[in-house]
Amino acid sequence: MILPKFTGSREEQARGLAKAMVGMYCEKMEEARESLYVGGRTAGLEALEKFRVQTYAGTRNKLKGNVSRLSFYIRHGVLGIREVAESVQERFGKSYDAIKFWQELGWRQFWRHLYGLWGDGIYKDREAAKVPLGNGTEEELPAEIVEGRTGLVCMDETVRELVETGYIHNHARMWFASFMVHFRKLGWKAGEKFFYRHLLDGDPASNALSWQWVASTFSHRAYLFNRENIQENGGKEWCARCTAKCPFDATYPELERRLFSK
Amino acid sequence: MKTGVWLHGDSLSKRDPALRNHPEARSVFVFDRPFLEKAGLSFKRIFFLYECAVEAADEMRVGETVEEILDWVRCEGLEMLAVTESPSPRWREMVERLRQKVEVKVVPAEGMVTVPEGYPVKRFTPFWKDLGKEWV
Repeated sequence: MILPKFTGSREEQARGLAKAMVGMYCEKMEEARESLYVGGRTAGLEALEKFRVQTYAGTRNKLKGNVSRLSFYIRHGVLGIREVAESVQERFGKSYDAIKFWQELGWRQFWRHLYGLWGDGIYKDREAAKVPLGNGTEEELPAEIVEGRTGLVCMDETVRELVETGYIHNHARMWFASFMVHFRKLGWKAGEKFFYRHLLDGDPASNALSWQWVASTFSHRAYLFNRENIQENGGKEWCARCTAKCPFDATYPELERRLFSK
Repeated sequence: MKTGVWLHGDSLSKRDPALRNHPEARSVFVFDRPFLEKAGLSFKRIFFLYECAVEAADEMRVGETVEEILDWVRCEGLEMLAVTESPSPRWREMVERLRQKVEVKVVPAEGMVTVPEGYPVKRFTPFWKDLGKEWV
């Protein structure tokens, strides 16, 4: 069946597409909305041109740091991965910031290569876990998590941003994944499915293997974070308005003892 | 040979390598109904792809991908299909099915580095040390 090109504003086009593709997305038709991030090469090239690599290395882990937000264009081949790397080289030359940025692009090619080798094997534990995990039998994450009702502002705000925009900062992805897998002892596959459903840059290999990296089924050790880490990297505002008993307010040795002792 | 280009979700722009090899060719993108009905992606993802496809493809379709492409090949009177390589197992299966009905030329995807055939991957650090020399 031929799909027409819809006319009008983005909102009007989205309404037309939502009607034409009903049953092929997870929301109700009347709740289907476009993201604030615009698709297409024109928008991708504009975003690439705006990106400045200076300060990338030192701030990229901060929620409001200088990250490119080009991942959704790269994931869908709207911008070529080499095109992006060369654009940075041509405009800014070789620097510590550029080298760090290229390394992050390299991760994407690494995941892609593994996908080519392993195929759907990316959805199986690649190695034995290095720490005790949950039994991983959940098909979906619990409703209170995907609806942003845990009471933990950092996690609920992460979910809200993901669902509303289709994008969250990489550090927020890591915190959320670690919370799911190590604090809540939920299986990484349910979390992977949730991210894949919503992330505009959702890529099977990058997503599944990053969850496995956090879980320790594709890394040497489990990824953990604590309250101090969240606060240092831009989450102070979350903590300031959080009234929940913080499960992350501990040193790493204490968290390891609490979470990983059999 | 009259060639058409199949654009897919890993390569959805005018920069697509298959399209650059065949700049005069018509192109198609298909929203795969069976996959989407099962995956339950958010509408934001679907609309993002739509915005990419509107700019990139001459025609957009919704349905079972192989059936839609073969129908498009017939409608356009094409003799060959060009497509950019994807690591996805679903994509490989589709290419195999298409090859039973039409000649398919697979064009390598754009990479930041060249990964030799059979390169044994274990972790990122040795991968980048071996292959990313141009970028360090």
